[in-house]
Amino acid sequence: MLQLAELKDEIRALKRATIARQRRRELETSAALDWLADAPDAPTLRQSVKQQGDPQESYALPATDDKPLNQRFQPPGPPPRGTTVVAVDGSQIRPDRHAAILYYLLQVGGMIFSYDGQAPRTQSESSLHFKPSELYDERSQIITGQLGQRRTVSELEYLAQLTAQARSAGAPSPLLALTDGPLLWPYSGRSEEETRQLLPAYFAALDSLQQSNGMPVGFVERPGGRQLVNLLRLTRPHAGAAADSAAQSSSDWLTDRELLTHFLQPGERSIWFQRASAMNQRHARRGHAIWFSYLNVGTETWPVIARLETPSWAAQHATWNKTLHQVLLHQARVLHGHPYVLARAHELALVTHQDQAALNNLLQQQLAAAGIMVHASVKAEQKAYFGRK
Amino acid sequence: MNPENRAIRIGNVLRADIRGFVAASRIPEPEVPTFGTFVRAPIQQGQSQLIGLVYDISMQDDQFLRHLAVTLEEDNPAHQEIIADQRERAIPVEISVAAIGYQDSHGYHYGLPPQPPMILKKIAVCQPAEVKQITAHPEWIRALLENREVPADELIVRAIQRSAELHAEEKQTYLITAGRYLAQQLGHEPLRLATLLQRMAGQE
Repeated sequence: MLQLAELKDEIRALKRATIARQRRRELETSAALDWLADAPDAPTLRQSVKQQGDPQESYALPATDDKPLNQRFQPPGPPPRGTTVVAVDGSQIRPDRHAAILYYLLQVGGMIFSYDGQAPRTQSESSLHFKPSELYDERSQIITGQLGQRRTVSELEYLAQLTAQARSAGAPSPLLALTDGPLLWPYSGRSEEETRQLLPAYFAALDSLQQSNGMPVGFVERPGGRQLVNLLRLTRPHAGAAADSAAQSSSDWLTDRELLTHFLQPGERSIWFQRASAMNQRHARRGHAIWFSYLNVGTETWPVIARLETPSWAAQHATWNKTLHQVLLHQARVLHGHPYVLARAHELALVTHQDQAALNNLLQQQLAAAGIMVHASVKAEQKAYFGRK
Repeated sequence: MNPENRAIRIGNVLRADIRGFVAASRIPEPEVPTFGTFVRAPIQQGQSQLIGLVYDISMQDDQFLRHLAVTLEEDNPAHQEIIADQRERAIPVEISVAAIGYQDSHGYHYGLPPQPPMILKKIAVCQPAEVKQITAHPEWIRALLENREVPADELIVRAIQRSAELHAEEKQTYLITAGRYLAQQLGHEPLRLATLLQRMAGQE
């Protein structure tokens, strides 16, 4: 039970820190907007990063030289009739050593949404994993972080499958393929499983999406990161009213999202950026370097900045970009900033507590019928009891 | 096609008592039975079939739908696909049924059944031939007349009018018999009787 009274002093301190941070943010935002308005051209920016860039920092460089850093793409109107967008999401039941049966489950759900006046098509798939080789890592520990990585691969494979299906059913180009979260592999890429199995499978799914002539897009709502702000600070390290503040460590500075909330009007999209991270170089070697762009899918009173990630081969199609922009604005408008197709894909993928209880009951019944009695640990029973309160 | 023309399964029993039951259904809009539809559900371990009339149909909502409801507009072409999706989405429809009798190996029995259907039993729409048999005797109306928890009079009128169409060759006789039965049963409630008869004649 939480004793709120005991946190009184910490809550007051949090409030004071938030107020101070807010004041600092106003200064930083004002300075960064000025720097963005006067930003040099792309080759100069690239040169600045090369000469003065901190190797520990990440910078958002314009992906192409033909567009200024501060260019904004206006809302392009509704999506053309017939446009198709595929969306997927995933969820899981984690392996629990206190449960009666040790297993994990992955479920992916997806929607094929065509602007044709008809109800979209929905589907989902589940897979049950119970072999020791799937449940334990090389140190004989039950897997934890690996499950998220495996789920990420399952989601992209499912996206590729549904995109190919939509293409076979006659979906016209551009065919958008949305996933919830980043498209750039969001893990270290250093584990053996990632190197040997997961990353090759992930890149194979991107290959498949490219073969289907689909446009894979990762939709990142409330993105973190300050690659654009880092770039601006690099170009103007000692200028403007925020000079003192600019001297602070980057981890306490304005984020790109905070800056773009003031820069992008509702419906506007930024140019495409690229960053030279080790993982993006790995993507590039497989032909799938990831570019990103920011889009304000909110309103005047409630701006919502999303980061879009797509492979460079997709981002270079002007018509695809326009359709992506049209579709995301339409999709996000009905749910106040979150694309409808992604919300539905999430719903289709979701494994609820009731689903999990039903699966556990079924598994226990099947084993009991075979004369095998299994039980959850006493600790798990107790937790379930308190969890229900 | 009228749903009564098929023995279509429309849902599972959620909760029940001796006077009726509520079923949950996920069938699409055209298949949802209408007010006054005759339905049946197995009772007594499948030895008998409870017969009842649909008296209420309620659409459930959830947080997601509530969120959408403030932005979607039915006549906006930009919302067509989303509205179509929501109508097919797995949102349960609750169908409430009032019991009027049951059928066993001896035939139809009118009044309350010996037990309610068990939860998750499937309910189905009665076929027209079945409805014709059930309504061959006006006693089927009795349980409704005594049921104060449902809009009984509206339900009786609707069910008589619909079943009269199935007794096409003797429709007039069927309606007169039903009217006489109501007069016998409601002798002590002349105002209610008059209203029912007026509605049956389509005068209200």
